[in-house]
Amino acid sequence: MISGGRGGKSAPSASSWAVSASGKRIQREMAELNLDPPPDCSAGPKGDNLYHWVATILGPQGTPYEGGIYFLDITFPSDYPFKPPKVVFKTRIFHCNVDTAGVLSLDILKDSWSPALTITKVLLAIRAIFTNPDPSDSPLIPGIARLYLADRAKHDELAAEWTRRFAK
Amino acid sequence: MVSDSITTASIPPAQNARDFGKKKRAHRSAKLKQCKLDARREQWLSQCTAKNKGCKDENNGGVQRRNGGNRSLEDLEMNSRGEEMDGSIRQYRDLDSPSNSPTSEIGSVLDAADSGTNFTGSSSSGSSSSGGSCSGCITEDEEGGGEDDGCLDDWEAVADALAADEDGKGQSQNPCSESPPQGDSVGQVVSPSQVTDNSMGVGGGIPKPECPKTIPGASGNSRAWRPDDAFRPQSLPNLSKQQSLPNPHRHYGGGIAWACNSAVPAPSSCPVCYEDLDFTDSSFLPCLCGFRLCLFCHKRILEEDGRCPGCRKPYENPAEVEASVNGGSLTFRLARSCSMITRS
Repeated sequence: MISGGRGGKSAPSASSWAVSASGKRIQREMAELNLDPPPDCSAGPKGDNLYHWVATILGPQGTPYEGGIYFLDITFPSDYPFKPPKVVFKTRIFHCNVDTAGVLSLDILKDSWSPALTITKVLLAIRAIFTNPDPSDSPLIPGIARLYLADRAKHDELAAEWTRRFAK
Repeated sequence: MVSDSITTASIPPAQNARDFGKKKRAHRSAKLKQCKLDARREQWLSQCTAKNKGCKDENNGGVQRRNGGNRSLEDLEMNSRGEEMDGSIRQYRDLDSPSNSPTSEIGSVLDAADSGTNFTGSSSSGSSSSGGSCSGCITEDEEGGGEDDGCLDDWEAVADALAADEDGKGQSQNPCSESPPQGDSVGQVVSPSQVTDNSMGVGGGIPKPECPKTIPGASGNSRAWRPDDAFRPQSLPNLSKQQSLPNPHRHYGGGIAWACNSAVPAPSSCPVCYEDLDFTDSSFLPCLCGFRLCLFCHKRILEEDGRCPGCRKPYENPAEVEASVNGGSLTFRLARSCSMITRS
């Protein structure tokens, strides 16, 4: 399946090309990630399957998520990178952009996805919303967004409590 | 004298090369005129050499040698400074000086010497200095032989038509470098009573007739080479190349190539599928933002949302926009063909 190389390109079958091409792409991304990992992030295949990864993001310092370790599931579609990977929080988090199922609302994982983006950039973007939640644009959890805008201290206190409870 | 003839003898190859072209333009009548000129010059030379002998007899040989040394130094200097052009100009000047300078010196210098004819009408000092130029004439005549005929014709007939800046260049250098040694030789050769006369007469007299000639020439010389000038074979093509090069470059690098140069350096592999870009891929630039990718990925993207991965703007394909009016399946084919077009 993951033959890669020119053989996939010369084959007219679109599906085999897509799989082998995405496999090559994912392998290269994995190599780059190991070579130059983004800060506080790690990622890799869950098992033998190259298309299912597990990623960890450490809660950035200076945020209520500090000290927490957040696990994420990353699933690459077969037509990756033309379609965005699916990223799901496996660790519960008090965040206006992450729903109770761990589904993440992030523009680059939806409409703003670009085949030029890599999983490294995705992880960095997720880490960025730890620091700067985005309550304005149709947040997944409006209650947390409202709290974040109205009473930041209360929001941070709750988030820190969730971090202590679920992410350590 | 001897060294002078040597240095001038080193010039003629360049002269001849240049004068071959001019020889073509030589006329029969000019050749006849040349014969006359040659006869006249020989007459003058014989008298001049006789004059030189007399001069040697009168003065000690050291001064003569020193005088010749000055000449050779000048010539060397001129040779090193001037290009091939200088040789011909010098020749022109040397031809000129026997006919012009003695006659011009006549009035002022005549008193010191036994001036039989017009041509020898210079003092002992004048004869020694003009003898230097005279020796240049001799060597050139001997050296050139028949080949110089055309050249001499040229200088005789085409001298007026020659570019004024050339004359000015040659003569603006020559009198400046030549007149001081002449003054020296005058001062040393001639007796003190003559020094005052001659330094006033010769030293001041020689530059005077030439200065009006050189200054307008020099002013003409100071201007830059014209692109259509016949005597700038090396620099003109360079200029034209430099002028012509940027135009195709600018023409080639329109909006797209410019964007590519400024925005993203060409990657060696496709940033989407990480396959190596071959030549066709690397010359394929589908978006103005400069984001490059291989043709397969581009096709794949066009099949889906058709947005550039680099800037997330939709690929601007006029054909695709046209075809989208007609129908989806047509969009496909035209988009592909359009990509082929943009690739080439």
